[in-house]
Amino acid sequence: MTDTYDGPILEIENLSISFFTRAGEIPAVMDFSCTVQPGEAMGLVGESGCGKSTVALGVMQDLGKNGAIVGGSIKFKGRDLNDMSDEELRQIRGSEIAMIYQEPMASLNPAMKIGRQLMEVPMIHEGMSEKDAYQQALEVVTAVRLPDPERMLKSYPHQLSGGQQQRIVIAMALMSKPSLLILDEPTTALDVTVEAGIVDLVKDLGKQYGTSMLFISHNLGLVLDTCDRLCVMYSGEAVETGSIKDVFDKMRHPYTQGLFRSIPLPGADKNARPLVSIPGNFPLPHERPPGCNFGPRCSYFQEGRCDAADIPMSAIPGNDRHDSRCLRIDEIDWAAQLPRREDAGEATSGDVVIKVDGLKKYYEVAANAMFGGGETRVVKANETVSFEARESETLAIVGESGCGKSTLAKVLLGLETATDGESTLGNADIANVPIEERDRRTIADIQMVFQNPFDTLNPSHTIGSQIIRVLEKFGVGSTVAEREERMLELLDLVKLPRAFAKRKPRQLSGGQKQRIGIARAFAGTPKVVVADEPVSALDVSVQAAVTDLLMEIQRENRTTMLFISHDLSIVRYLSDRVLVMYLGHVVEMGTTDQVFAPPYHPYTEALLSAVPIADTSVEKKRIVLDGDIPSAMDPPSGCPFQTRCPRKSSVPGNLCEAEVPPMRTLAGGHQVKCHLSDEVLAEMEPVIQVHAAE
Amino acid sequence: MDADIIGFGSIFARAFVLFWPVWAALAVVMGVSFAMRRRLGLYGQVYDSWLGIVGLFLVLFWVFTALFADVIAPFDAVEGVYSGMKKAVPGTPVASDSAPYDYFLFGGDNLARDVFSRMVEGSQTVLAIAPAATIFAFMVGITLGLPAGFYGGRTDTVLTFLANLVLAFPVILLFYLLVTPGIRETPIPTAMAAVLFLIPIVFFVMFFYSRYATRPDVLYIQLACVIVLGGWLYSGLAFNLDPLGIVGMDPNTLNIFVSVVFVNSPTVFRIVRGLTLDIKTRDYVAAAQTRGERPWYIMLWEILPNARGPLIVDLCLRIGYTTILLGTLGFFGLGVSPESPDWGLSINEGRKLWRSVEHIALVPALALMSLVLGLNLLADALREQSLKD
Repeated sequence: MTDTYDGPILEIENLSISFFTRAGEIPAVMDFSCTVQPGEAMGLVGESGCGKSTVALGVMQDLGKNGAIVGGSIKFKGRDLNDMSDEELRQIRGSEIAMIYQEPMASLNPAMKIGRQLMEVPMIHEGMSEKDAYQQALEVVTAVRLPDPERMLKSYPHQLSGGQQQRIVIAMALMSKPSLLILDEPTTALDVTVEAGIVDLVKDLGKQYGTSMLFISHNLGLVLDTCDRLCVMYSGEAVETGSIKDVFDKMRHPYTQGLFRSIPLPGADKNARPLVSIPGNFPLPHERPPGCNFGPRCSYFQEGRCDAADIPMSAIPGNDRHDSRCLRIDEIDWAAQLPRREDAGEATSGDVVIKVDGLKKYYEVAANAMFGGGETRVVKANETVSFEARESETLAIVGESGCGKSTLAKVLLGLETATDGESTLGNADIANVPIEERDRRTIADIQMVFQNPFDTLNPSHTIGSQIIRVLEKFGVGSTVAEREERMLELLDLVKLPRAFAKRKPRQLSGGQKQRIGIARAFAGTPKVVVADEPVSALDVSVQAAVTDLLMEIQRENRTTMLFISHDLSIVRYLSDRVLVMYLGHVVEMGTTDQVFAPPYHPYTEALLSAVPIADTSVEKKRIVLDGDIPSAMDPPSGCPFQTRCPRKSSVPGNLCEAEVPPMRTLAGGHQVKCHLSDEVLAEMEPVIQVHAAE
Repeated sequence: MDADIIGFGSIFARAFVLFWPVWAALAVVMGVSFAMRRRLGLYGQVYDSWLGIVGLFLVLFWVFTALFADVIAPFDAVEGVYSGMKKAVPGTPVASDSAPYDYFLFGGDNLARDVFSRMVEGSQTVLAIAPAATIFAFMVGITLGLPAGFYGGRTDTVLTFLANLVLAFPVILLFYLLVTPGIRETPIPTAMAAVLFLIPIVFFVMFFYSRYATRPDVLYIQLACVIVLGGWLYSGLAFNLDPLGIVGMDPNTLNIFVSVVFVNSPTVFRIVRGLTLDIKTRDYVAAAQTRGERPWYIMLWEILPNARGPLIVDLCLRIGYTTILLGTLGFFGLGVSPESPDWGLSINEGRKLWRSVEHIALVPALALMSLVLGLNLLADALREQSLKD
C-alpha cells in the first residue's frame, strides 16, 4: 500500500529535542536535519552524550515522560510522525521502523522461546497464522546465517551466545520487512571477530531487502564499512554530513578533523605521526558555549566571530549533499599536515624485567558448590604461557574476551596463583606467591591500570586521600606532609590541576578518572605496569590524550608495560612487541612489525581483517570467521582455533583436531603456534594494504 | 464538678499547647536544616520532597516528645490515679484540687490514669530501645555480613546457615523463651549480651586499625578512645557493672534489647552480604588488593562506604519494624512491667475494654502508627534521593 511512495524514507528537518527536568529544560538535540533515501545506509557518529541515540528515540517517538520534540519535523515516507496518534505509531513501530539495541540480551524476553518471540511480530502486525509465522521465522533465522535454525527457534535466549543473540534481534527486526532499520551501537557489546560477522550480515541484508538504515555508532571504522553517508554529531548538533568519501577524505569541520587525528590509523606511528587529542572536555548540555559548540576546543577558533551567534549548516560546493557547520570552511587549510613531533628518541629496551615460563592457570568449577555433588570441571584459562619483557618495553597482549588475558594479569599481580609454571619479576618468584605474601617492594613493583574508569576509583573517598593511601601502603614519604606533597606531584605528572585532590570521583570525567588510575599505578615507581584496556571505555577524542600520557610516563620512568587490549590499531601504534592469545594459548608472538606483516597465524590474520579502520585508502582482505569463540570450559581438541580456522583445509589429515601445534620459531624470533607448512605461511598476503592517497 | 466535658476542638487545642516544647524544637531544627539543606548531604536532600519533610516531621515529633516527655505530660503515667476517672471519656475534667492539670485530655484508662500522659511517656520506651537496638543489630549484621560476602566459601556457608537458622525460628516463640523467668535466671541472656555487645567494639577496633596501621600516632589515640569508651559502655550495658554507675539497663530492658538485636541482625547480615558480593567485583576493590591491602581494610573502607545508601534506607525501615516489634512484645506483656506506659501494653489493656470505650486502645495505636509511618516515609525519601546520585 505504501509501495507507491518513492520519496525519501526518512526526512528530519531542524529537529530539536529537549528533556525537562527539575533543573529546567535541557536541550539534547538542536537543529538536526538529515535525509535517508530508500536503500541508503546513514551513519550517525559522535561521542557519548552527543545526542545520537536521542535522535533515534525521537524517530521512534519514544522519548519518555521527560523528553519532548520542541521543534522541527520527522517525516517517515512523507508523513509527519509528530502528528500521528498513538495507535498509528504503534502500527508503524516494529512493522515499518524497527530498532536494534546495543545489548542483545536486554532486547529479548528471557522467559520466551526464540521462535515465539519472532512469530509474535507478524502475528500481531499482520494477523498472520501461526503456521505461516513459523515458516517466516525459519526463513529469517536462516537469512541471518544461524546454524540449525529449527533448534534455534526452540531455545531460550540465555542458551545462545552474545553474537547469536544479536543475530536473533536482527532477525526479529527483519520479520516485519521494515522500510527503516535503526541500529543503535549494535556491535559494541560484541568481540571484534563476531562484530565483523554481524557487520557483514547487516550490509548484505541491506542490499537483499532494500532496507534503509540509520546506523548509530561511535566507531568511524565501522561506519566506513557499513554506510553510504554519514552525519557527525557534536554536543546535540550535526556538525558535518555528507557521503562517506567526502567526509572521510575531504572533511570540512574541525571536529571531524580532530576525531580522525585522534584515532590510530595504520599509518600512525608514535613518533612520526602521533595521535593528536582534542583539547578540553565535552560541554555539558546546560553549559554549552555561545555560538559554535565546538569553539572552546577548536584550534581555528576566532573570538568575536565563532562565538557571536548560532552557526547554520552550509553546503560545500562541488560535493554531493555535503554540509558543514563551520564559518571558516573556506579559510582553513584542510590539507595541512600535522607538524612532526620532536623525535622522542627510540627508547632502548634494557634487561629482562619480567619473565614468564610455561605458566598455567586452571580453575576447578564444581557443578554444585554447596553440596559438592556432580563432577568438577576444569576451566583452562591459561595454557603454557611463556614470554619475557624488558625494561622500558611495551608488550601488547591481544585477544578477545575469554582468551585468558585478564587471568594472566591476575596471576602476575598475585590475585591468583599459578597452577603450574614459573614467573619471575627481577629475581623474585611471583607465580606462586599470592599478594598477601609478597613484600612491599614486590607489590609496588608490579601495578595495574584498570579498564573501567567509572569503577577504578572508590566513589566514597576523595582523589587525594586515595592516592595518599597508596603512598602509605608503599612506604613513600615518612610524614603526612611529605606524602601530601608527593600526591600533588603525581597530579602534576598526570596533568591534572592540584585542586582535584579535594574532589570526589563523581566530579571527574572518564578521562580524568583514568589519569588518576595511572597516577595511582605509578605512585610507587613500579618496574612493571599492567594496563588492562586502559582507554577502551573512553571516548575517542580522550583516548589519544590518555594513551599519550601513559606512554610518556612509561618512557620517563623506563617502566615495562604489559598493554592488554583487543584493539589492534592502538596496539600497533604503541607497542614494541605483541603477543596474541586465543582460548588461553599464546598463538603468535613477535615484534609489532612481525605480527602485523605476513606470515600470520590464521587467527591473527582474521583479527586484523576484522578490525574496522577509518581510512578510505586502506584496503583489507575480508576474512569473516564462522561462529563464536568456544567456551574455555569445553575447549576443542587439538589446536584451540581449529573450529573456526579458515585455513584448516591446508593442513593434511586431521592433525589440527588431534594435536596442539608446537610453538614454532620463524625468522627473527617470530613465534607462531600453527600446523601450517612453511610454504603456506610464506604465501600469505598482507591483510591491510594502504593505497597511496589519490 | 465545676466544669463540663470539653469538645474535641478544645481537646486538640489544649494538647497543642501542652506540646509547646516539641513545636519550638521542631521549628528550630527543621528551620535551620531547611535553610542549610544544600550543605547537609543526604540528610539535607530529604527536604527536597514533601514526603520526606512529612516523614521527618513525624519522626522528629516523637523524638522531641520523648525528650521532653516529663515537661509535656501533665500527670504521672503510673502513679497519677484520680478517683472517678476510670474509663473517663476524652476531655473529662479532673475532680481534684491537687491535680496538676484540669482535664484528662484523651480520657482515662481502666485504672483511672491519664491516657494522654501515658501516650507521651510511652514514647520514651519505644524511642530508647528501637533505634539503639536497630543500630546494634546493624553493627552485628555488618561485622558478620562483610566477611561472609567477601571471603565466600566456608565462612559464608556457616554464617549464612546460622542466619537462616535464626530467621527460621518463630520470632514470638523466641521472645517468649528469652524473656520467660526460667530463662532469665540462667546466664543465657547475659552471655548473649556479652557476645552481642562485644561485636561493636571489635567493629570499631578493626575499623580504625585497618586504616591507620600505617600511622601509629593517630591509631593509638583512636584505639584508646574506643577501648575506654566502649569498655565503659560494655561493662554497664552487658553486666550492669558500670564503675561510675551512670550506664545501666534493668534486666527486663536488657532482655528485650538483646532479643531485638538477635532477631534483627540476621536480616541485616543478609543485606550486607548481598551488597558485599556485588561491590567486591568492582575494580577499586581489585585496585586495593593489588596494592596489598588487608581484607578488613577492603571490607570496612572500600566496600562498606559504598553500601551506605541502601543501608541507611534499611536502617530507617528497620527502626519502624522494631517499633512495631516492641509494640507486639508489649502487647503480649513480654519484657515490660505491667504498670509501664508502653504503647503495646496499653493497646492490649485497651483492647479488653474496646466494647465500652475505644480511646484507651486507639490513642497508643495511633501514636505507634504515626511514628512508623513517619519512619517509612523518611526511608522512601532517602531511597529516592540516594537513587538519584
